[in-house]
Amino acid sequence: MTATSRRWLSWAWVLPAVVLLLIFVYYPVVENIRLSFFSWNAFSPTPTFVGLANYREAAQDDIFWLALLNNTAYAITSLVFQVGFSLALAAVLEEFVGQRLRGVLRTIYFIPAAMSITVVGILFSFLYNPQFGLVNEALSAVGLDSLTRAWLGEENTAIWSVIAMSQWQSIGYTALLFVVAIQRIPREYYEAVHVDGAGPLRSFFTITVPMVREMTTLVVILTISGAFLVFNEVMVMTAGGPNNSSQVLGTWLYRQAFFEDDMGYAATVATVIFVITFAIAAVQLTVTRRRRFEA
Amino acid sequence: MNRSSLRTSATAAAAAAVLALSACGGDSATGSSEGPDLSAPAEKSGTLTMVTKYADPQYAPYFEQVVAAYEDANPEVDIELEQVGDQPYKDKIRVLSASQDLPDIYFSWAGDFANKFIRAGLAADLTEVLGPDTEWGSTLTPAAVKTFEYEGKSYGVPINLDAKYLAYNTKLFDSAGVQVPGTQEELLTACDELKGAGIQPIALGNQFGWPAIHYITQLNAYNVDPETLAQDYAPSTGEFTDPGYVAALQQFADINEHCGNADANGLAHEVAQANFLAGDAAMQYVESVEFGVFTEAGGASPEIASSWDFFRLPAPADAQGDTEALTGAPDGFLVNAKSENAALAVDFLKFFSSQENAATMTEEIGWLSPVEGSATEQNSFPQLTRTLNDIGEASQFAVWLDTVTHAEVASAYLAGVEGMLGGNLTPEQVMESVQEAAAKAQQEVN
Repeated sequence: MTATSRRWLSWAWVLPAVVLLLIFVYYPVVENIRLSFFSWNAFSPTPTFVGLANYREAAQDDIFWLALLNNTAYAITSLVFQVGFSLALAAVLEEFVGQRLRGVLRTIYFIPAAMSITVVGILFSFLYNPQFGLVNEALSAVGLDSLTRAWLGEENTAIWSVIAMSQWQSIGYTALLFVVAIQRIPREYYEAVHVDGAGPLRSFFTITVPMVREMTTLVVILTISGAFLVFNEVMVMTAGGPNNSSQVLGTWLYRQAFFEDDMGYAATVATVIFVITFAIAAVQLTVTRRRRFEA
Repeated sequence: MNRSSLRTSATAAAAAAVLALSACGGDSATGSSEGPDLSAPAEKSGTLTMVTKYADPQYAPYFEQVVAAYEDANPEVDIELEQVGDQPYKDKIRVLSASQDLPDIYFSWAGDFANKFIRAGLAADLTEVLGPDTEWGSTLTPAAVKTFEYEGKSYGVPINLDAKYLAYNTKLFDSAGVQVPGTQEELLTACDELKGAGIQPIALGNQFGWPAIHYITQLNAYNVDPETLAQDYAPSTGEFTDPGYVAALQQFADINEHCGNADANGLAHEVAQANFLAGDAAMQYVESVEFGVFTEAGGASPEIASSWDFFRLPAPADAQGDTEALTGAPDGFLVNAKSENAALAVDFLKFFSSQENAATMTEEIGWLSPVEGSATEQNSFPQLTRTLNDIGEASQFAVWLDTVTHAEVASAYLAGVEGMLGGNLTPEQVMESVQEAAAKAQQEVN
């Protein structure tokens, strides 16, 4: 077989995937950006060109900014817990916990990640219930009655309650990713720093953290883009309420599209989400490339 | 670029772009003035498509049963029935509408939800077969047919009747020595007395906003002159400047203060209902379609099933609006204006609302039917037959505020009343945002 025919054949193999990607991923993305410059709804599906009007509307829309802020809070909190805390958890599991218990704990931590988000959302709605919820009961049991409240029903706690649930669900998953990365670090490195007199904390920062940086980058990207794409959790637990206090970009998009029939504006919100997640992916691309060159 | 990140980014944008694809599905809609031929088909044959929002296992079998019965009676007809849930229906019907792929028969709430289809020329004008002087129209409760009228024409076939009442526990009322209140002032006093006796007066769960909106629907009707109300609820003329709207919100705040429970925004309607069913709360504002759960057949304890009754949310003594209006509305079916089988669709809907089917519906799923005389002592329980009489006495339906108004206005009300209930907004502030939304809606429609 000649080199040319081999090249053509390889194209033939990837063609179905490329076509599917073009139709179901790239075309909708481009079409969505185009439609964000139009005003249209499901009942008068002839789009009217409005230029940047939808973007101006977004700039003046308090709830759009609140949603963006909520997504950002989601991202920052997730970074702290799903990257920082998870890495520490993984290191502790690998360093201090015996072989048998380690397996049990890993499974326990991972179980929430394997559960349906809708089921978890409903479960946490019960936990947060102001009348019989476990959270308030637990607070009362330790004398913290003053902190009991309708967690999902108050404007200043609703989004944080959803974020907290998300952390509970995802920490086990990211910790497991870190466990895999830590297991790939040669034991000799730890033995060497141990001989040099380093304690567990020192070896964590000088060996573990730098050696899992590829995984850290991946988890950071997954976490941040996940935080900007969040939808199900909020929809199931608060639907963006009360008084829109827990809206995120995803739920605001949905509400504009399917409740307020403002499809053009919804496309604009979708474009903003796309730009943010695209930028994150681009940063990741740059960082990983540079590291590869350094290595 | 990391492929998974690109894929997730793309998926986000694709969520809205599903509609982009669907928008390309057909020619643009035109508000066609020529209606389809609705005269009874000489030969009943063909395929009908139908989408409802009754996927709930409690209700779905009834619709399947009627469809099967019609197919049995007309072997040449095939009905493709698709039933989805309440929330998914709102998405599905919009996507079908945008892609010019509406089924022959589709569900609609009364009010602006239906009017959007009508304005876009997507619902067939059924006046010639459904008007009050027609054979079919005269079998249906006029108030129910009227809720699907737009500019004097009939567009929707009402399929059930639903109205909102304060259900109350007669034993708890007796034990606190409380009488059924005749005015709103008496309601507040009754609540104080119930609280004094250590009983939670009204169970309110407002987690998703609509339960409180049902109060406001009724209170707006009590406090605002019907003509002004109709003008404000119409998206092209809505202003919401009448002082009655603020009064209505203030009255709701008073009711909540005297009768409600704390943390209503954090409680689901169903959780509040559980409190009523457990005998922990004396009242709950419920739809008559929910009455079934207060019966033993619906799962209530014998104590509750034998000691509940209902009354309308009382009007204030100085009400400026229509004190005989009743919150509620029928749900309905619309016929696709572009359907090639519109006549067959009408024929099926006539079959659906026959006396026999209506009586079966009341018996099997506990819904009142707009078909007159369909609820009897044999096929329903006493409270339900009395509901039917009470609906008959109402001057008009005050259609749910969140479906009768433009979506912008509905959103502002939903969010605002939640904010008010949480103590973060005053009635005046809520109305300010409603007025802004109304102005935006006007701009959109005119």
